[in-house]
Amino acid sequence: MKNYILFITALLLAACKPSVPEQAEATGRIPLILPDNSGATLPPNIAPLCFEILEEGDAYVTRLSTKKGEELIVDGCSLDISIEDWRRLMTAAVGDTLWTDVYVHKEGKWKSYNRIANPIVADSIDPYITYRLIRPSYVMYEELTLVERNTSNFDERIIYDNMPMSKGDKGQCINCHVPQQQGQSGRSQFHVRQAFGGTVLIDGSNIRKVNLKTDSTLSAGVYPAWHPTLNLIAYSVNETGQAFHTLDPQKIEVIDYASDLILYDAENNEVTSIERTANDFESFPTWSPDGRTLYYISAHHEPTGEDIDADLEQNYQSLHYNLYARDFDTSTKKFGPRRLIFDAESIGKSASTPRVSPDGHWLLFSLADYGQFHIWHKSADLWIMPIDSDDEPYMLSSANSPESDSYHSWSSNGRWILFSSRRMDGNYTRLYISYFDSSGHAHVPVLLPQQQPRLYDQLFRSFNAAEWMIRPIACNKKKLENCVRGNAQQARYAGPALLTPEEDQTTSNAKITKQNYHNIYENN
Amino acid sequence: MKERLSYTLLFVVISMGVMMGLIRPYLIETAQLTPFLTTRVFAQEMITRHTWGIVYYAASFMQSCLARPWLGASLLTTMLVAIAYVTRWATNLSDKCFGICWIVPFLLITRYAQMGYMVYVNKEIAIAFAWPLFTLLSLIVAGLLIKGLRYFFRNNKPQHQMSKALSRTLIFLSFIAFTGSAYLFWNQTYKDQNFLNSLQMKQAGEQGNWEQIIRLARENHQEPTRLQVCLNRLALYKTGKMGEQLFAFPDGSATYNAPEQQQWLRLMGAQLLYYNYGKTGFAYRWAMEDMVEYGMRPMYLRTLYRVALLNGETMLAKKYHQALCHTLFYKEETNDIEREAQTIRPLMNYTDQLDGDNGLVEFYLLQSFTLTKGGSREMVELSLMCSLITKQLEGFWPRFMALLPGWQGIIPIHYQEAALMVAQLQGGIDINTLPIDPQVRQRFERLVEVSAQMGDSANNAYNLKSEFGNTYWYYYFFVEGLKTT
Repeated sequence: MKNYILFITALLLAACKPSVPEQAEATGRIPLILPDNSGATLPPNIAPLCFEILEEGDAYVTRLSTKKGEELIVDGCSLDISIEDWRRLMTAAVGDTLWTDVYVHKEGKWKSYNRIANPIVADSIDPYITYRLIRPSYVMYEELTLVERNTSNFDERIIYDNMPMSKGDKGQCINCHVPQQQGQSGRSQFHVRQAFGGTVLIDGSNIRKVNLKTDSTLSAGVYPAWHPTLNLIAYSVNETGQAFHTLDPQKIEVIDYASDLILYDAENNEVTSIERTANDFESFPTWSPDGRTLYYISAHHEPTGEDIDADLEQNYQSLHYNLYARDFDTSTKKFGPRRLIFDAESIGKSASTPRVSPDGHWLLFSLADYGQFHIWHKSADLWIMPIDSDDEPYMLSSANSPESDSYHSWSSNGRWILFSSRRMDGNYTRLYISYFDSSGHAHVPVLLPQQQPRLYDQLFRSFNAAEWMIRPIACNKKKLENCVRGNAQQARYAGPALLTPEEDQTTSNAKITKQNYHNIYENN
Repeated sequence: MKERLSYTLLFVVISMGVMMGLIRPYLIETAQLTPFLTTRVFAQEMITRHTWGIVYYAASFMQSCLARPWLGASLLTTMLVAIAYVTRWATNLSDKCFGICWIVPFLLITRYAQMGYMVYVNKEIAIAFAWPLFTLLSLIVAGLLIKGLRYFFRNNKPQHQMSKALSRTLIFLSFIAFTGSAYLFWNQTYKDQNFLNSLQMKQAGEQGNWEQIIRLARENHQEPTRLQVCLNRLALYKTGKMGEQLFAFPDGSATYNAPEQQQWLRLMGAQLLYYNYGKTGFAYRWAMEDMVEYGMRPMYLRTLYRVALLNGETMLAKKYHQALCHTLFYKEETNDIEREAQTIRPLMNYTDQLDGDNGLVEFYLLQSFTLTKGGSREMVELSLMCSLITKQLEGFWPRFMALLPGWQGIIPIHYQEAALMVAQLQGGIDINTLPIDPQVRQRFERLVEVSAQMGDSANNAYNLKSEFGNTYWYYYFFVEGLKTT
């Protein structure tokens, strides 16, 4: 009797296990799936690519398989793959391909679709990323969180939640979280604007808040770049405003009416000036991995009148940013003269957000028709430039899309680029990960996997300013909140950080004559 | 039993009466300010991001039902009745004291009904249903605890019989508690006529029922707020009556019965006005700004969807469309949008520009159209009308002449009035060549004659209002200051 029960149970289990249909009519095309990561090159340690089959049918079977014979057969139109199964498949597929075959049962017969192939490379991605989860906002803010995501599974941790702190007029906005060297040193920072304004510096489990706005600088620190080894951060300081398109689907133009560069010495709590010129707008600094060169963007603009707001509002499309660099002496903490690295203006383009690869050979940046805030520019694409050769910069075609592709970060091994793209719907930023091979080419990117295949479809938030992290942030949310609530330590201004003095024209706030826009990067 | 039934019936009548008879538009508005989608992502966001997220999720679901006022009001009333009954059960109150059990339900419904304009800036989730649901659940838990404790610590002492006098006092106090709470509810319910009228106008506009807006504007006997004026002007434009009737309606600027005067037109009207006037970038902007500030609401989704569709942003429109389809009651609103879009496209016939309105919606629209040059016939007419409203008449004749052939000999009355006046003030054209109605000419001559005979401007304004109050002349000469708050 007992044997019968065991036999029947085994039979039932076998009957429940899905199997690939023996006969299926070929459709000759790949299936419609969401999200569609077909062809994307995958790292071996990425979270499972759960997806939903959008083809109409009454039964679904999907087979994931590798050349080595590992396979996973799943039924149902929504694939929720377990981490263990996925890891087994990925381990078997390293250096080869993961195949996905989809079968759909409709009107009494099975249909098969062209095989989806995903190359799997041996290079891993960093285990964490941080990003800001926010609605694609204009001026207002409130509901936003800094999130840490484990890239090998679906674990998410809110590092900082803007909501519980304070609301309305007493609310604050938190800006991008940026670590030093993918978080290897345990140092990172983020800004708080408006109420509780200041820059929060995290060093392991030590946290403090500083006010980087001095009488001699335009604003508090804005776009940061940690020095790779020293406790120094280069920042842009910006007078930034937003103007709104009445018709254009690009919707917003984020304009710098003035901008400079500063260096913050976190040890001595001192701010020095790197660039401080009236008609040159410098921004988005970034260090070379050896810490001896600072790259940044700069645009030259000769004002046509007193009202620079109105001037730039009319001529915003004429603002073209080029790539520049300055050598840095780590012993004296002084910069050499400015060098032009890439003349984007000469080809009618505008460069932004340069980032140097960890091996120091490549300079990755986004290039669009004008301006510097490329997340709102549909023409924005990722470009790469070999640093140590005379080769021209070129577009990373496989990674780009017709929509905005921008804000990127190198993984610690220099093989993966994490970047923001609005390719799904043109408005909501999603994170993509593209393999960058040793010959300098980007591969078809994979969308950051989510356990719910429809998450991106149904979520009205953008994944903003993402950065790779090799370890989780040490401090907890409570500690960060207490630090944000506390007073900011005032930084001192200590003059220019240049080896040889340059013409030092003060960029004056008084230039901003029109009161239409307030500086969105003001602390208070 | 009799007392219970009487109080229950009385409460139901009062609650349903106020909600259905008095603040029905407010219920409908609350529903479209309530986020609820039947998606996994929404459920997960709601449940995991908030402590007691499941209660908020259920409360949001129920509050969404206010889109069908009968359903929502019945649900809320039922829940409040349940609270009264559970209170009685938990506290073991006798029927004589049952009136006391209605204090909490009345307070809860008052809390919701008193919001008025503030409902737009309220960030509490499911304001109408969350507290009642929490109260109900808490009472059930408290009741179970009390009953449990009573079970374990049973008191075997005999119950004293209540004296008749005490019994009567309790009945009286109970009744006072009920009527007092009911009065508080009635008294505190936000009954501001302009607010309710604005809501009706806004909701009619969202349904494209422009005639209804004009009817509501006509029936409103109070001085209107700028929001009402703007919505009515939009309706007049949409129905082609702008040139005939615009200055016949009062150009009021009544104070909003709420703090922070400058924000209500923006919060309640910006999306509808900008969208229908073809300033789609600004309609989208304010829907998104409000979504950032107040969370996802069907009202914003509706605007975002429409604008994405007009912009030709197919994938984005699909995203919003899917979201609307996952609401309980706004699915059908996605139908027939193309017809609506056809009336807006002619107003989008201009070169995009970077701009900002600083939240001053009416002022921006007026200035923007006043300064517009060229464009479609619809744009030229709006431009003409806005220049009349702002009294910036420099470009009057080019616009008037551009529109003249299209009027086919029948010039709308306000434009006839303006033409006579501008010809008198500025010259520039032989007015006799224009097909001006002799009655309009006579009226104008009489105005000139009468105002010359009278005293100062203030006197004229008062004396001439009855005869000329519905003319552009009266607006131009006697309505001072551009009201755009």
